[in-house]
Amino acid sequence: MSGKQYLKNQLPVILINLLGMLALALFLTASDNPFPAVLFILTVWSMVLVLSLLIFYFSRKKYLNKLLDMAEQLEERYLLPEIMQVPEKADEQVFYQIMKMAEKSMLEQIGKVQRERREYKEYIEQWIHEVKTPITAMKLLCENNRSSFSREVLAELEMINQYTEQALYYARSEHAEKDYFVHEVSLCNVVHSAIADYKYLLRQSNMTVQIGDIESRVYTDEKWVRFILNQIIGNAIKYHTEQPVLHFEATKTNDKIVLSIRDNGIGISKSDLPRIFEKGFTGQNGRNGKNSTGIGLYLCKRLCDKLGIGITADSENRGTTISLIFQMNDFIIGVQD
Amino acid sequence: MKRKILIIEDDFTIQTQLKTLLSGNGYEVFAVTDFSQTIEQLKEAAPHLVILDIKLPGNSGFEICSQIRAFSDIPIVFVTSSNTDMDELNSIMLGGDAFITKPYNLAILLAKIAALLKKAGRFPQTEILIWKDAALHLESSRIEYKGQTAELTKNELKILYCLFKNAGKICSRNDIVDFLWDNQLYVDDNALSVNITRIRDKLAAIGLVDFIKTKHRQGYTL
Repeated sequence: MSGKQYLKNQLPVILINLLGMLALALFLTASDNPFPAVLFILTVWSMVLVLSLLIFYFSRKKYLNKLLDMAEQLEERYLLPEIMQVPEKADEQVFYQIMKMAEKSMLEQIGKVQRERREYKEYIEQWIHEVKTPITAMKLLCENNRSSFSREVLAELEMINQYTEQALYYARSEHAEKDYFVHEVSLCNVVHSAIADYKYLLRQSNMTVQIGDIESRVYTDEKWVRFILNQIIGNAIKYHTEQPVLHFEATKTNDKIVLSIRDNGIGISKSDLPRIFEKGFTGQNGRNGKNSTGIGLYLCKRLCDKLGIGITADSENRGTTISLIFQMNDFIIGVQD
Repeated sequence: MKRKILIIEDDFTIQTQLKTLLSGNGYEVFAVTDFSQTIEQLKEAAPHLVILDIKLPGNSGFEICSQIRAFSDIPIVFVTSSNTDMDELNSIMLGGDAFITKPYNLAILLAKIAALLKKAGRFPQTEILIWKDAALHLESSRIEYKGQTAELTKNELKILYCLFKNAGKICSRNDIVDFLWDNQLYVDDNALSVNITRIRDKLAAIGLVDFIKTKHRQGYTL
């Protein structure tokens, strides 16, 4: 609250007081009072006036600053009326009432939006589960009638399945903590099942898959890691070059296991590298018409953060290495022993 | 005796295609047709293994699972399109033996079924395949012909296994590579040629000349 503004607001009070002083001075002079006595009375009056203005000003300022502080500390500011004291002044009570009304309508709006979001999310999840039935049926039909034609359909089905999975995990990534189940996972198994998900696409692109030593066990959620690997393998296929190679390798140090997935694809330019995990970032490769969505790696990063897995990307112009870093803390090692 | 599998799945296409696939892999397959009579039909069919969907008309797969567990301990494989951890946990708690999400990888499904049947102990798998006096020993990774043996690598064993399984029929190169990929051996077309040449050399060394025949533009056959 600025003093100047306050003084301006108090202008009527000051004017009335000045008028009163003038009237009193005229009256006193007219009734033959000596000049010093009149001056004394007027001085006392103005001192009382200034003092009361100052006291009011500072007490108001203290009260309002407290309110401002309270509001600033609140995460959800619109909830202020819930914790502030009901003011005593008549006009402030009106403002308080208005704030209450605003809060209520805000809460209703938020509730509505949240409900709609939840319903939409549930619908998306349900839809994905339903679309998996025809995908499964098509897959079975193709596998039972193998030909070069059905192989191509199977490759396309793998893409469809990955896109639906992506949508599912996107919908879920918000409330990830409700849906993970951390247990001992064999890296080898996850990598093999992630490759199996892309069997036909990998074969179609003539990818040479090399598996190094990946016989490690980590504590994490298997299906999430599989999804993350799927995204990385999917990228390797999308951005492959002549004679593509995809290499998996796990290295173990004291307190962590690093799973690196290396390809020899078109790579990522140095300037794009720091931003590839951002949502919607497509970079140079995206501009070159590679149909990038900027969702895959963003989701990977997001899920990794939730699961406590480190993820880094490295690219030397040609080829990309994505590393997943699984922490092995003392607690886990202790349990293992 | 053929192993009997009962499919409890309401999607008609999946049901028939699973039937085709499983009977093609040497199982006798039944499917539940009337979902109000699931348990009765199950008792009648007396299968060795059950494939159970979770979302079914009437009783859910979970309920059916606990009903089955009340009188039998046959292996139950859950297949479902919902892959939440809650469902997985539920299926394990109720006594399911495996949990596979749609769209399932067929190789994995078949491997799980074989493993569960083997574990149930009723059907020891044959570890030796025989064709025209040549015996393929799966456990020790060898091929034996008239007293002479040759050691095989993992790739070579799987290629021969694929050929032995389809003995008399033609295996296309694509089929063989598919089979290898399903067994986590990521061999490409060129590597397949190299492997076949090496197998032929090994076979020739033990007196099996021209055992693997090349069918031009079609594949290989024994």
